[in-house]
Amino acid sequence: MNISVNGQSQVPPGFRFHPTEEELLHYYLRKKVASKKIDLDVIRDVDLNKLEPWDIQEKCRIGSTPQNDWYFFSHKDKKYPTGTRTNRATAAGFWKATGRDKVIYSNSKRIGMRKTLVFYKGRAPHGQKSDWIMHEYRLDENNNNNTLVSSLEEEDPNMSSGEDGWVVCRVFKKKNYHKAVESCSQISSNLSHGHPTAAAVISAAGGGSSNSSDGFLDRILGYMGRSSSSSSLLSCNNNNNRQEMMNIQQVLPPFMHLPRLLENPWPTPTSTTTATAAMINDSSSGLSPEDGGCFAAACDEDQLVRSPATNEFPKLEAAGGGGGSGLTDWVALDRLVASQLNAAAHDGGTTTNVREDLFSFPLLHHDHQNQENHNNNNLRSNNTVSCRSNVSNHHQASSSSDQVYMMVNGEDFWSFAGSPSSSSSDPLCHLSA
Amino acid sequence: MSNNAKLPPGFRFYPTDEELIVHFLQRKAALLPCHPDVIPDLDLYPYDPWDLDGKAMVEGNKWYFYSRRTQTRITGNGFWMPLGGDECIYSSSSGQKVGSKRCYVFYVGEPPEGAKTNWFLQEYRLPDSGTSAGSSSSRSSKKRHSKMDYSKWVVCRVYERNCSDNEDDGTELSCLDEVFLSLDDLDEISLPN
Repeated sequence: MNISVNGQSQVPPGFRFHPTEEELLHYYLRKKVASKKIDLDVIRDVDLNKLEPWDIQEKCRIGSTPQNDWYFFSHKDKKYPTGTRTNRATAAGFWKATGRDKVIYSNSKRIGMRKTLVFYKGRAPHGQKSDWIMHEYRLDENNNNNTLVSSLEEEDPNMSSGEDGWVVCRVFKKKNYHKAVESCSQISSNLSHGHPTAAAVISAAGGGSSNSSDGFLDRILGYMGRSSSSSSLLSCNNNNNRQEMMNIQQVLPPFMHLPRLLENPWPTPTSTTTATAAMINDSSSGLSPEDGGCFAAACDEDQLVRSPATNEFPKLEAAGGGGGSGLTDWVALDRLVASQLNAAAHDGGTTTNVREDLFSFPLLHHDHQNQENHNNNNLRSNNTVSCRSNVSNHHQASSSSDQVYMMVNGEDFWSFAGSPSSSSSDPLCHLSA
Repeated sequence: MSNNAKLPPGFRFYPTDEELIVHFLQRKAALLPCHPDVIPDLDLYPYDPWDLDGKAMVEGNKWYFYSRRTQTRITGNGFWMPLGGDECIYSSSSGQKVGSKRCYVFYVGEPPEGAKTNWFLQEYRLPDSGTSAGSSSSRSSKKRHSKMDYSKWVVCRVYERNCSDNEDDGTELSCLDEVFLSLDDLDEISLPN
């Protein structure tokens, strides 16, 4: 079998470099960090600051087989002059981190982290988001059980640092499923235009235990997707075009797991709350009681039933039957949550102050201890959802996290930590009103 | 998989439709050696899909093997039922048709009854004789008069479709990532990281 890689190499037909995350970290990056020779020069070193994403595929070609993703080693040593953040700017744009870092395990032992970045063309703050995505994998800082690294640490203590040093990256282009995009963009446009409540609920849920939260979130998204898909269904029916609906189902497999998508897109009020409750029950089973309680507090069935906004549900059904736009249910959901939170806000006098305090803060880089205090205030002053990790974990996580804040009608203020938690198994969610 | 032991970690058998036909089926039909010779020939195998382990080539949760064209694929405990029509496979370089793909789903029981399962089979075949295209035609025509018609070879991929298919292997954005990505649009102060 003749293989040489990255040269005039010939990978045998049918074979592709498709490493698992564990292989990337445990085999390739570990060897790289230890300066051990890697059998084949599969993964190249690149200078990220000098390489545009569209040039990566030429630079990081493996053999002659078509590729959908590309791999390279990069050395994180460039920093912005003003801070500790890694400079990932190129001539044409920059890589910007998104979401939360994901923990990578090997044999159920934590070995490293994955950061997701998006390439923006242009210069901040006016960058234009592209479809280029990068997963940047780094080894954990103190891999005490890792003989390869620890022996090396004696020689050079800086070698295995998490912020400096070698990382291995995978770059790929985000797939744009033609139907999924429609549905997804509907979700995102709903999220970005006047429906931050739903976004915050998602985010809050995402703050749960990371092992289960992804699946959990998929379910929530699925539930939201049902709303948007359902409106698609209506138009499909109007056009007598069920095939279109089938396509949606095929490209969105997670949505298929949800009950009554086709049969009864607009469940009765009772069944809606039941479905929500079922969702909570299902998802809570994988979480600690605390985590489960977090979401249950946000969408407690009893609260939904008691809420004055419950009256919205028949409207939902009517809107669905009448072929109304998918927006209606979002407005209803928005109102529902808003009414809950407003009620809660009036209960606690301090909440308003807290909100104003938050409001006057610089939106980024504000003191995390303050935020802790605010959340404590929130906990005392009302029964609004607030899930906290313990303080030490929070600080660890926040040191590199991007805080995302949203303002609703200039009044409601939502904050949630949307990213790099160095230990995402800890609940990390802040939802304050 | 012992056959790719010489490949470094991370290399896996993920052939495209075209590769299965051009690199494996055409060469097999032309009696050319396949390098690497990783796909075993199971002939008109009577194995149930869950018995393929150890007999067919396995990569991940997919099994590969050569077989022959046949009207009925009956196994020990069930049968393969065709699913939909043929899908043409074209060469990415020339655009010519190089073969076709047909899907089957496995039923447990006796035809035409039986219980549907989550097991799927994709059968890749060369174009029918006469229209046979590409480099194999000259070779296979030489053999046409021998006992065996090698254009009857097919290559099969069997897999079980289950919920764990959409697990996050890191090669795509999860739904959660997508949400965070769209939330980034709200972040007006978009400083580079």
